[in-house]
Amino acid sequence: MIIAERKTLKELIGMVDGFNNILILGCRGCVAVCSAGGDKEVSTLASALKLGLSRQGRTIDIDERTLVRQCDPEYIDPLNDDASDYDAVLSMACGVGVNFIADRCPEVNVLPALDTTFYGANLSSGEWKEMCAGCGACVLHLTGGLCPVARCAKSLSNGPCGGSQEGRCEIHPDVACIWQQIYDKLSGLNRSDDMKNIMPMRDWTTAGHGGPRRRIREDLLP
Amino acid sequence: MNRIKGFCCNYTLSVEPDALKSEGLIPENVEIERLPCTGRLEVSELLDSFTQGVSAVFVVGCQLDKCHNLSGSRRASKRVSQAKKILEELEMDPGLVEMFFADRGETEPVVQAARLMSERTAG
Ligand code: SF4
Ligand code: SF4
Repeated sequence: MIIAERKTLKELIGMVDGFNNILILGCRGCVAVCSAGGDKEVSTLASALKLGLSRQGRTIDIDERTLVRQCDPEYIDPLNDDASDYDAVLSMACGVGVNFIADRCPEVNVLPALDTTFYGANLSSGEWKEMCAGCGACVLHLTGGLCPVARCAKSLSNGPCGGSQEGRCEIHPDVACIWQQIYDKLSGLNRSDDMKNIMPMRDWTTAGHGGPRRRIREDLLP
Repeated sequence: MNRIKGFCCNYTLSVEPDALKSEGLIPENVEIERLPCTGRLEVSELLDSFTQGVSAVFVVGCQLDKCHNLSGSRRASKRVSQAKKILEELEMDPGLVEMFFADRGETEPVVQAARLMSERTAG
């Protein structure tokens, strides 16, 4: 899922400076699952902003709403009917949601309440880790299912850089060397010889280096 | 005088809060709300108390390993920690919101908590 975290209250209070009424808009998708922008976080942020502003002698009207998702038109298009009445909509969705509202709701002043960070898995309650970078040309069949793009600090394709020590990445002892893990995983599967197959130079256009990406499925088009 | 708000569950405080006040056990400026379980308290309610003019907030729940609703006081204590972080972000003293634990039916810890928070905001 997409992982995100709330911006600091200082930043958000600055963002709503000069506004009289805002709508804090949550999303029940990824950001609700990672406890960054669901119903509960909307209500906490509303209270935190009210308190922060009241300490500066300011009050603004804050409404709260949470949509099923902010990345599908059927949920955000209704904002065109009532959200332009707000000085701003402070979206607690990932950056996709904020962009999509900006694209589709011309009169809505949308602002991001979160920093969108990565695609990750939930290791345990309250802990998430990056697992995929959405490169658009998956190589996990060659690497024992472990991603060298997202999980190697240098996104190397053909083995470790030589800086790892005792299975730890040279950037930080807390970070595992994913190439050590790929080797261990493949060895456990009796596939360590797979590492001798050199991956060709990658074409990073699929990873977004060729401009914004788009996908069309003819069979699903209206 | 500074207003103090306390939240207790029915199990940690089985007497009417006003009775404690009329007996002079808790200061006049302390207002206590009893809840079925402190686990239902949300961070927003803790923060809203400050916005409504309260100077300090405390929560008294069951001992962590003896909560009547198993994990209610644990949840409350996590929310108090979250509220503390938000107060810090807002450059407020995180000690203005505090979690306390009490054995079932023991009013003394509630009285102590009320007095401590009242003292913390005095002067
Ligand atoms: S808007 Fe973002 S956070 Fe919400 S469901 Fe869509 S992708 Fe997930
Ligand atoms: S190789 Fe690309 S698509 Fe596959 S997990 Fe890694 S980043 Fe994601």
